[in-house]
Amino acid sequence: MIPCTDFIPAYSELFKYLEQTGGKQAVTRLWEFLADTYLDDLRGLVAEHGIRGCWLYWTRALNEEAADFTIELDEEAGEFRIEMHRCPSKGMLIECPGMEPYPDYCLHCDLLYRRVLEPLGYEYTIDLSQCDEARCSVVVRRSVRP
Amino acid sequence: MPKRVMTRRASDNKYLHKDFHGALSLAIDYLDRNYGEEAVRSYLRQFTRSYYSELIKQIAERGLIALAEHFRQIYEIEGGSASIRLSDTGDELFVEVEQCPAVAHMRRRGFKIARLFVETTKTVDETLCEGTPFECDLLEYDPDTGRSRERFRRSRRGGHE
Repeated sequence: MIPCTDFIPAYSELFKYLEQTGGKQAVTRLWEFLADTYLDDLRGLVAEHGIRGCWLYWTRALNEEAADFTIELDEEAGEFRIEMHRCPSKGMLIECPGMEPYPDYCLHCDLLYRRVLEPLGYEYTIDLSQCDEARCSVVVRRSVRP
Repeated sequence: MPKRVMTRRASDNKYLHKDFHGALSLAIDYLDRNYGEEAVRSYLRQFTRSYYSELIKQIAERGLIALAEHFRQIYEIEGGSASIRLSDTGDELFVEVEQCPAVAHMRRRGFKIARLFVETTKTVDETLCEGTPFECDLLEYDPDTGRSRERFRRSRRGGHE
């Protein structure tokens, strides 16, 4: 059994394996598949509770992942924010001795969550400009588009 | 409705997100269906050689005690029910898992358990022995519960692989 604490390196290595096998498209297809299957919790919570579903999903996930974060929910404004001060996944990969992280590792967070939230009527924005330091920020906003 | 804010430091929580077992299982199922069985094994070998390279070195240098320590640490973190017995000579290690914490969690949370989820035990543990004087046999595996019996012992082929 691979312990869940070793999943992130396994995940990163899977992206590398798929890119070696079928190029970046192969990695993208896996991410689409995971968005459609693994993130049912997030999809269900947002469908049921609206923007508060993001709060419900990420409070559990980020606490279990021992992330260093601030999250904010403003239901009136229809907005949810994550300020990731230290991403446990990217942080682990940066510190992992002898193992190169998949170079575009952080992009999976853009594709997966966008693919779940946009069809539910939310805009999803992620700033990955500091992801090399295991920092990023996310804004989810109720879409104003009809 | 007031704003809600939550701030946590990494040290506020224990790192244990068991849903990751479900993500790994889904990924293995995806690999199996789209790239075939050998791709699953090939990927797991690549991961093991890379991520567990230090453990493999330790097994080669210190013997099966290094592997026993590794398994004890896993089940201490994950829970479940496992017996890890190293023979007096240190040449045989038995790992008997009565209840696999990964499979139990996935069943509880309704994740699909991949047909080849067994390879996260079989291929990974065989690969851990590569280049060491030891070999691994998966003697029993129940895909419904993850219950398993494994034996690690000095390779009958003798010497390093």
